[in-house]
Amino acid sequence: MRVYVNGTPIEVLPGMKVRHALIRAELLSKIEDGKKVYDEWGNEVGLDGALSEGMKLEVR
Amino acid sequence: MEEVGVKKPHIVLCVLWVSLLLLSASFVQAAPTDIRILYVNDFHGFAEAYVPIGSKEPLGGIAYLAAKVNELRKEKPVLLLAAGDMIQGNNWTNLFLGASVIELMNAMRFDAMVVGNHEFDFGQEVLKKGIGEAQFPVLGANVIGLPVLKPYMLREIAGVRVAVLGVTTEEAAIYTHPRNVTGLQFLSPVDAATKYIPKLRERADLIIVLSHIGYAADRSLAEKTKGIDVIVGGHSQTKVAKPAVVNGTIIVQAWEHGKALGVLDLTVEGGRITHFEGRLEDIQPKKGEEDPAVVAIVAKYREKLDSVLKERVGESGVDLDGENVRTRETNLGNLVADIMREASGADGAIINGGGIRTSVRKGEIRVGNIYSALPFNNYIVAVKLTGKQIWEALEHGVSEVEEKAGRFPQVSGMAFRYSPRSEKGSRVKEVWVGNNPVDLEKEYAVATNDFLAAGGDGYKAFGDAVKASRDFSVVGGTVIAEKLVYNDSSRWIRDVVIEYVREKKKIAPRVEGRIREVD
Repeated sequence: MRVYVNGTPIEVLPGMKVRHALIRAELLSKIEDGKKVYDEWGNEVGLDGALSEGMKLEVR
Repeated sequence: MEEVGVKKPHIVLCVLWVSLLLLSASFVQAAPTDIRILYVNDFHGFAEAYVPIGSKEPLGGIAYLAAKVNELRKEKPVLLLAAGDMIQGNNWTNLFLGASVIELMNAMRFDAMVVGNHEFDFGQEVLKKGIGEAQFPVLGANVIGLPVLKPYMLREIAGVRVAVLGVTTEEAAIYTHPRNVTGLQFLSPVDAATKYIPKLRERADLIIVLSHIGYAADRSLAEKTKGIDVIVGGHSQTKVAKPAVVNGTIIVQAWEHGKALGVLDLTVEGGRITHFEGRLEDIQPKKGEEDPAVVAIVAKYREKLDSVLKERVGESGVDLDGENVRTRETNLGNLVADIMREASGADGAIINGGGIRTSVRKGEIRVGNIYSALPFNNYIVAVKLTGKQIWEALEHGVSEVEEKAGRFPQVSGMAFRYSPRSEKGSRVKEVWVGNNPVDLEKEYAVATNDFLAAGGDGYKAFGDAVKASRDFSVVGGTVIAEKLVYNDSSRWIRDVVIEYVREKKKIAPRVEGRIREVD
């Protein structure tokens, strides 16, 4: 499954969650520093939220 | 005459009274009616408040959320809904297979819930038992083969006829072990909604879809399906602070773990919504503001949980070394890697030593010992790696051994020699898989945890294999992907280890020379 984190395409296994996409993008530490993850509509999403094909995430 | 005269005024009064009644009834139907939808999703058994990653203060706490529900119930007629994945994800529910959450939801008087993918994680028999104990309907219109799930619920609230249709993700088989969904079919939520909504429209003023398909899919459902008034969603754990409107459908979702309570106030007039306002109520622990009945349930299962952690699962004839897992092969590293390889049927296993946090002393092993040694919520994944990728993974694993980095590998089904004095990137000297030297071109199934499979601790080899496994499909309830061999997010590794020790009763794993230092 392909998702995008801050515009970068990230491949994850089916069933993996937002947390895994951030690990792959090497951005999980940013969450520990207080940043948050948002979907393409500007809603915050949880780290264990389900991913969907083509989902666009932004860490800020 | 008088009798008639007496009767005549009675008849007139009676006609007037009936007319007034009819008139007042027509006023009730036409008059705006306020109702309130309260909702949670993806609770995952987080009964107690906790400090989330990146936060400085505790959030959540179901007793505080319940108190807020009580407060909001006093203001107007309420429907309390749960949009799936209420269980699995926290010891408070996992150790009781979800029963603690059902008791909680009964006490809070939930009106309906849709089944989420994680409700299947403990198997269908456990799910059926939970549904049997629930004092509210559990919905799943697009799940075929489990009759205890009802497609919809009809309820009249303050004179408004409300239909709640439940749909869950059709990819449930991806999120749980195939054995948990054997014999079940998960149809398209859009097809299920298209089938039921015209029928429900005849019997309801308001149609709510209680969904566990994720926010993007909720939006798509609203675009493709006519006649849905409200979608109360879950699965993507999205914090929809203000309701979205797509194709005339209001879409809401309340984040995760009971950290927020969703509130959607609707004014219904003449069978349609004329006004709505929505918000999320942040839930934070405030002493004195909890629901006492719910506090008692949380405390009861906390006590039970503590006693479960003390339960004996078996015995170890040796100390299980979790101290040296970042620098050398240890018997505890071997045990965990062996169990993962065996559970997944893989050729080998590579795990990160940093995933093991403490030792277990010789003697009785209790549940709590395993939980302390393996505290992370990781599950087993097995992917196909080439011999070259295995070599690269091991090379990466030993690249920071002098710094005792958590990436140091513990292995099963394979062995290797390395020199910590060689330059990083060329430390591994020999690798065997099974009894043979590794074939760099051949593919082997290698078990690991989901953290490394996602590329955690810098394990690029797993990430590359995942990248090559992009296309996948669900066939007969099983995920088929080019490089994916095994994927069971329904059980944490520590629970698999506990099950293994319970079965064996006595264990005595040894260091076998799987990882050897050479000059």
